[in-house]
Amino acid sequence: MRKILKSPTGLIGTLLLALVLFVTIFGPWITPYDPQAFDARARLEGPSLAHWLGTDQYGRDLLSRLLSGAPATVAFGLGATVLGVGVGSVIGVIAGVAGGRTDSVIMRVLDGMLAMPELLFTLLIVTFLGGGTTQAMLAVAVTFTPGMARISRSAVLSVRTREYVLAAQARGESGAWIVGREVLPNALGPIIVEATIRVSFAIMIGATLGFLGLGAQPPSTEWGLMVAEARQFMFRNPWCVAVPGLAIAVTALGFNLFGDALRDAFDPKRGH
Amino acid sequence: MSHFTLSRRHVLMSLAAASAMPGATFAQGTAPKAGGTLKISHSTRIATLNVLSLSGPAEYPCIDMLYSGLTRMGLDNQPHADLATEWSANDDATEFTFVLREGVTFHDGTPFTADDVVATYEAILNPDIPSAARSVLTMVESVEAVDDLTVKFVLSAPFADLPYSTAHANARILSRAALEGDLSKLDTTANGTGPFKLETYDTARMVRLVKNDAYYKPDQPYLDAVEMMLFPDLAAETANFLSGETDVMLTVQQADFARIAESAGIEAQQVGSGRYVCVVMRQDQEPWNDVRVRKALGMAVDRQLLVDIILEGLGRPAYDSIVAPELEYATDKPEIAYDPEGARALLAEAGYPDGLKATLVASDRPAIRAQTAIALKQTAAAAGFDLEIKTMPHDTYLAEEWMKGDFYVGYWGMQPTIDATYNLLLTSEASYQDTEWKNAEFDALIAEGRSTVDPELRAEIYAKAQALELEEKPYIVPFFEDVLTASRGTTEEWHVAPISRFYFIEDVWMDKA
Repeated sequence: MRKILKSPTGLIGTLLLALVLFVTIFGPWITPYDPQAFDARARLEGPSLAHWLGTDQYGRDLLSRLLSGAPATVAFGLGATVLGVGVGSVIGVIAGVAGGRTDSVIMRVLDGMLAMPELLFTLLIVTFLGGGTTQAMLAVAVTFTPGMARISRSAVLSVRTREYVLAAQARGESGAWIVGREVLPNALGPIIVEATIRVSFAIMIGATLGFLGLGAQPPSTEWGLMVAEARQFMFRNPWCVAVPGLAIAVTALGFNLFGDALRDAFDPKRGH
Repeated sequence: MSHFTLSRRHVLMSLAAASAMPGATFAQGTAPKAGGTLKISHSTRIATLNVLSLSGPAEYPCIDMLYSGLTRMGLDNQPHADLATEWSANDDATEFTFVLREGVTFHDGTPFTADDVVATYEAILNPDIPSAARSVLTMVESVEAVDDLTVKFVLSAPFADLPYSTAHANARILSRAALEGDLSKLDTTANGTGPFKLETYDTARMVRLVKNDAYYKPDQPYLDAVEMMLFPDLAAETANFLSGETDVMLTVQQADFARIAESAGIEAQQVGSGRYVCVVMRQDQEPWNDVRVRKALGMAVDRQLLVDIILEGLGRPAYDSIVAPELEYATDKPEIAYDPEGARALLAEAGYPDGLKATLVASDRPAIRAQTAIALKQTAAAAGFDLEIKTMPHDTYLAEEWMKGDFYVGYWGMQPTIDATYNLLLTSEASYQDTEWKNAEFDALIAEGRSTVDPELRAEIYAKAQALELEEKPYIVPFFEDVLTASRGTTEEWHVAPISRFYFIEDVWMDKA
């Protein structure tokens, strides 16, 4: 951890992430207004003392909406990543450990899936499953699976022929024990780093789906949907687009920088 | 509202027939310049050009350019001469004779005759062919060609408003050849008698129409071509219009109206209209089969708030009747105050003491549908309605939800008469009957109103029908929306009729040096 905080990117990433996590956990409790309450007299206002970040087209307080939307938005990214990473790494580990024909079959199928652009693939799945937050999360998880499988497989492959694994095999340990105690712990580093960076992608794809009307449904305060709903009013009050847009950017940046720093920390070649 | 006796109506009709078309006079006195391509932007897809059945907001201007009808509604909300130059009725309004215009040809050069009129009306009245105009023409018993340029309509019951019905936007004249051929070709091709001919039909991008040199009005149309350009993205549509890429915005969103109206070199128009958003509640389904639930929802709508927020004040509150106050025989509708407490009590009485959960579907086009849903959720929450909103792309909505779902947001334009308004949606045989309300007493009143000639009796009958609509509340109608459109300053004579089915684009010209 100290290593991460030493680098400037790591420090900034950690700070941003801490801020985002704080808002995610406590946000809905500290909203100054009801995030859904209309106020016909205070529509599309810029920041003021009453409304720190301004109001949207229905006169709803933007700060309150931002705070209340944080859990949905961040949880979406985390949930989709955990699902995708979980399934992807299991597949990757199986492929890496099994090797041979199983490995080739699994990897060729995944290569095929990887060939499709991420957003397009997600859209395809959402179109198939129908709109909604759960469907969108599943879609992002499925999209993440092939990439994660590839990364975990390569991590496993690099570990599989190490001396300590060979030693375990020589001791006559069972395959499962070797995978669980020797291979996985040593292959986990790259997987965690990749997962952290992927959270930011998941949040952005989730926001994109919300923006396209395929993810969260109004009047949800999911940030991507907030941008989409307010877009029509962009010229009258730029704040109602900028506020949720910036929030998405900050969150994505936080996860990204933190993931980068994490990678550097794990990488022995860059260590001092 | 004017109340003419039938004979005076005849005089009025022939006056209308003899007078010039609206918009053909030029306020500034400048002679219109010929030439130019008019680019019209719109945000809903032109999914079909089938004149018999289409109903899309951007499809109406297309058929108004491609086809002509016997009569055509003017900007004054009255029927005017189109392919028929004059018409007359017998004394009890059961027989109408239309005299057709001479020398009119279809776009492919074949001459237009009374036989085409007969073929068209037979197709409209044929129950096997989907047609939107049938519901206003059901009283037509037979249509016959007296000679090449005279058509006689025989009605089963008196109906003085027949010239309004023949002006129905979907009752445009097709050629007999087109109707006897493959009808699915009507979706993508058009052989009409209108001022413009179809050149390109690309439903995903652009529909291009070119001048019909053989159009019956001398020297018209002035434009060489019209391009209907699709902008699925509203912000992009506005940006393109403001930057001069397009000449006309067919529909301006309320959110952008003030900004566009203030821009230099742009003329924005606000036309008071009976266009409305309605909440469809299927009445063969729980819980909407209980009128108390419908009434409770009506009381849980803060109409003034919706007008202020969603329409930006560009409209007026409505009180759950689809009849616009401008229509002849419209009654004054009592104001329905926002009363969440009363609504909650009524809901409890209907058997929902803990409130009611429902999923309200709203298409994403136009944006006003989803906005209405959001505002409704908010104001109805205080009355115990827990509405979950589901938005979907417009095409998905049309395919999966419209006319099928039990609770969704509908959106309709104004109709020329009470008869047409009710026969579009509310009578059992209505063209787009989607509530399953099907009230026999109401049907009988509308049928009676249709065949009644005496204006005072008609007023009485229509008052009863409207009272029944208010009492039974088949729809929630929160507001009437003004029609908003905008054109570049160089585009002259761009008009939208309040019923937004008629555009008179043959009168439009461009003042580009």
